[in-house]
Amino acid sequence: MQVTFRILRFNPEVDKEPHFEEYRFEGHENMTVLDCLHKIKWEHDGSLAFRRSCAHGVCGSDGMRINGRNHLACSTLLKDINTKKPVVIEPLPALPIIKDLILDMTDFYEKYKAVKPYLINNSPVTEDSERLQSNEDAEKLFESAKCILCACCTTSCPSTWSNNNYIGPAALLKAYRFVFDTRDEAADERLDIIDTPDGIWRCHTIFNCIESCPKEINITWHISQLKKELSTREL
Amino acid sequence: MSEFKKFDQKNWVKTNLNYKKDSGSWAWILHRITGIALIAYLFMHIFSLSPLSQGRAAFNEFMSHYTTPFFMALEWILFAFVLFHSLNGVRIVLVDWADGAKYHRALYRYSIVIGLVMFFAMGYVMFSHEIHNLFK
Repeated sequence: MQVTFRILRFNPEVDKEPHFEEYRFEGHENMTVLDCLHKIKWEHDGSLAFRRSCAHGVCGSDGMRINGRNHLACSTLLKDINTKKPVVIEPLPALPIIKDLILDMTDFYEKYKAVKPYLINNSPVTEDSERLQSNEDAEKLFESAKCILCACCTTSCPSTWSNNNYIGPAALLKAYRFVFDTRDEAADERLDIIDTPDGIWRCHTIFNCIESCPKEINITWHISQLKKELSTREL
Repeated sequence: MSEFKKFDQKNWVKTNLNYKKDSGSWAWILHRITGIALIAYLFMHIFSLSPLSQGRAAFNEFMSHYTTPFFMALEWILFAFVLFHSLNGVRIVLVDWADGAKYHRALYRYSIVIGLVMFFAMGYVMFSHEIHNLFK
């Protein structure tokens, strides 16, 4: 089957603004979008730049906008998208473009670091030298721990598009991961960090993050748990 | 490392227009639009109450304009805006305070169906006289 890809290209040494370029090639419905990008890069235009590492939806490097919605290129099969019209490939919205589909992710990681994404526990370990947790308590964290930091959710959020300071769903999800961890002792500290107008309260439950998440995490549900926690701790 | 030029993509109007939308996005956009429209309506509401300061006759005279079919149709649309904003408001409360985030699509569909039923029911109540005349 013949497939056409329309890719947003930007070369910082030549271009003032990004522009679309079209590539036509022989594809197969079981090819992923990443396979197609490889085909283009290896057989048509070697100057095409994009990030990828594992190519199996684990590293989260190849988040991009495919036919108008953020997703991982390696987790999107051609048969699951509309290939009758040209497939439109753009970089994730909101973050600055370095080249073609490669973005400057500094801002995304800064916000991620802001919620202290690591276990904080200053009390000495017990005699069996382990910090134990019940299965039920661990299960509360499983879904949020699946996040691979691909930035698909944060850059799909209309609050991110219009507000540079919005912390974003990925960082809030990570906050949930540690706030509801029974082994962690800094829940209040983290809740104070996200309890600002540009923190959790900029989430307007638009659900774009859920639609784009390649790991199918219900991010808005996790954020709503944090909102409940924040509202009830004042009582 | 030499500093290289980056392209700043920040254009929220353009991104909002061309990003693929699902029920959640539409609910948010319509909630904003109806919210702003209802604020505008509040000003008009206070303006149309202002003849009260000139006595009963002036007020009744002013109010008679609102019984024309044009204004009744506008009121019906106003009711649709109030309906959407309030039903979606309930949906947002359920999302934030209950486990609504797990059923957000169903909640959106239910609020649309309930809203449409109430909208047409209200239409019947408002225009029952005209409808009655039509089939006489």
